[in-house]
Amino acid sequence: MPCEPRPDWQKKAKAFGFKFHTMHGQPYWDESAYYQFTLKQIEQDLEDPTQEIQQMCLAVVDEVVKSEQLMRQFQIPQAYWQTIADSWQRQDPSLYSRLDFAYNGKGHAKLYENNADTPTSLYESGFWQWLWLQEKVDNNALSRGADQFNSVQEKLIARLREISDFYGVNGLHFACCKETEEDRGTVQYLQDCAAESGLFNHFVFIEDIGLGEDGSFTDLHDRPIETLFKLYPWEFMQREAFGDYIESSQTNWIEPIWKTILSNKALLPLLWKKFPNHPNLLPAYFEQDIHLAEQGKWVKKPLYSREGANISILERGKTILQADGPYGEEGFIYQAFCPLPKFAQNHTLIGSWLIGDTPAGISVREDTSLITQDLSRYLPHIILG
Amino acid sequence: MTRKRSAHINLNRMRKEFLPKPIAIGIASVFLAACGDKEEAIIYKNAADCASQNPEFAQQCETAYQQALEEAERTGPKYNTRNDCEAEFGSNQCRNVQNQSGSFFMPFMAGYMLSNLLSPNPYRYQPMFTSYSPYSPFRYRWIGAGGYDYGDLRQTKYRVRPDAFKPKPAVTKTMQRGGFGSSVRAKSSWGSSKSGGKSSGWGS
Repeated sequence: MPCEPRPDWQKKAKAFGFKFHTMHGQPYWDESAYYQFTLKQIEQDLEDPTQEIQQMCLAVVDEVVKSEQLMRQFQIPQAYWQTIADSWQRQDPSLYSRLDFAYNGKGHAKLYENNADTPTSLYESGFWQWLWLQEKVDNNALSRGADQFNSVQEKLIARLREISDFYGVNGLHFACCKETEEDRGTVQYLQDCAAESGLFNHFVFIEDIGLGEDGSFTDLHDRPIETLFKLYPWEFMQREAFGDYIESSQTNWIEPIWKTILSNKALLPLLWKKFPNHPNLLPAYFEQDIHLAEQGKWVKKPLYSREGANISILERGKTILQADGPYGEEGFIYQAFCPLPKFAQNHTLIGSWLIGDTPAGISVREDTSLITQDLSRYLPHIILG
Repeated sequence: MTRKRSAHINLNRMRKEFLPKPIAIGIASVFLAACGDKEEAIIYKNAADCASQNPEFAQQCETAYQQALEEAERTGPKYNTRNDCEAEFGSNQCRNVQNQSGSFFMPFMAGYMLSNLLSPNPYRYQPMFTSYSPYSPFRYRWIGAGGYDYGDLRQTKYRVRPDAFKPKPAVTKTMQRGGFGSSVRAKSSWGSSKSGGKSSGWGS
């Protein structure tokens, strides 16, 4: 639905420190329109499947940690197999994930992938689109009956407290890479949520993390890092110089290291194998099982990839669309092609948020291309009817 | 009716710029509302400062001061060079310390926070630091050993969570930095959209 942007929204964005609303010279936050859902669509087609798929995914994790063959197939370095299994057995708590769905408003939402390790667009979802609706309703620009599927922030605040209690700490460290305004914004948002739940919070850049003489990781003030939220992929950390100390540093990790399995695209063929023909899943296969796949269009995804990089669409074995990128050396999986629904020239992707294991809200992103990348636009949504 | 969105978000927490007066009233009420399980704590510059305000507790003031000094040495920020320390805390604000974990530079303890001094329960204490460096975010602020910013140096009465007095982890000596982040450097050399603005990151 087209709608009038709030006249002062850019000023407000400045006041609230939302700096990445425009990226690479292109608009990212777009409130010239919004998506409208019914409560039934939200609850039956998105919230319930999100809850169910999360449980299915956890069942796959439980299978993978017990199998050397699967750990190998996931391309997880052998040095971490035991660490991952231990973390899973301890039930180290997870903070959040985003399941991406293709959903056209009718029928079954189809799972594209599980962003379980370093999902972004959290601030836009949990806070910024909430504020947008609040102001729209307060100014009578939208009906008082308009709602939104969004308790993300409330649940994040509560979850951070639960995680701190689990580890018996009263403060958390937060880290992301240098020179990324979007990641820094996401991490600052989590720091604000931590402060709101009464926790101390400290920030350190990933590149600045040190190794202390007592074996712990340290921040720039030489304080040991007890508990670290890292907006940095596990598969990178496991292949870097400090990877050797991931276990011995005794850091409490957020996300926990067992999420290495969830954020891996190898999850998709295993889900399909364990829950064949589930209405919310797309057929998916490992490279060596591709002969099982039917004719038609397939999407080839690297085991590790971010923001749509290195994804290609194949028809009868021929590449018809391809996104460049630095990923793919660890292998690929194939997922049945299911195009994103098109609304007014835009392809729409639904992100469904989990805080811990609980569905907490959705985000809507649009792209002019079939492959949603980091230049897609973020639009708010409402529930009405 | 089921409501699918949160009823309330604390906007003041989310605001990154200070706004004129009316908002300040909102902030005050939020603080009051959140005070439930907090306790009153007072920061003294030294034992004499404490004793002059609580003459009948002069002995406790002195003992707590000595305990805070020990805690300061154990958990306060430590630096390999005087320069690094003074860059954060200001010139002549650092001293050399030598103990079993080595030789390093630390800021002087600027004060100590006490609670429960007047109650029959055991008093609780923690060391406080401050910075005089114009380049430091800690300038003229009361800072706990863990880096927590309590507030302006001129203010000495605070309401704090009881866990503020939990002993902080000792700082350690950092042997090496830069062991994480190399994949980003390798992968960010790729592609047009990343090389331009570099404002977006490695999330997904």
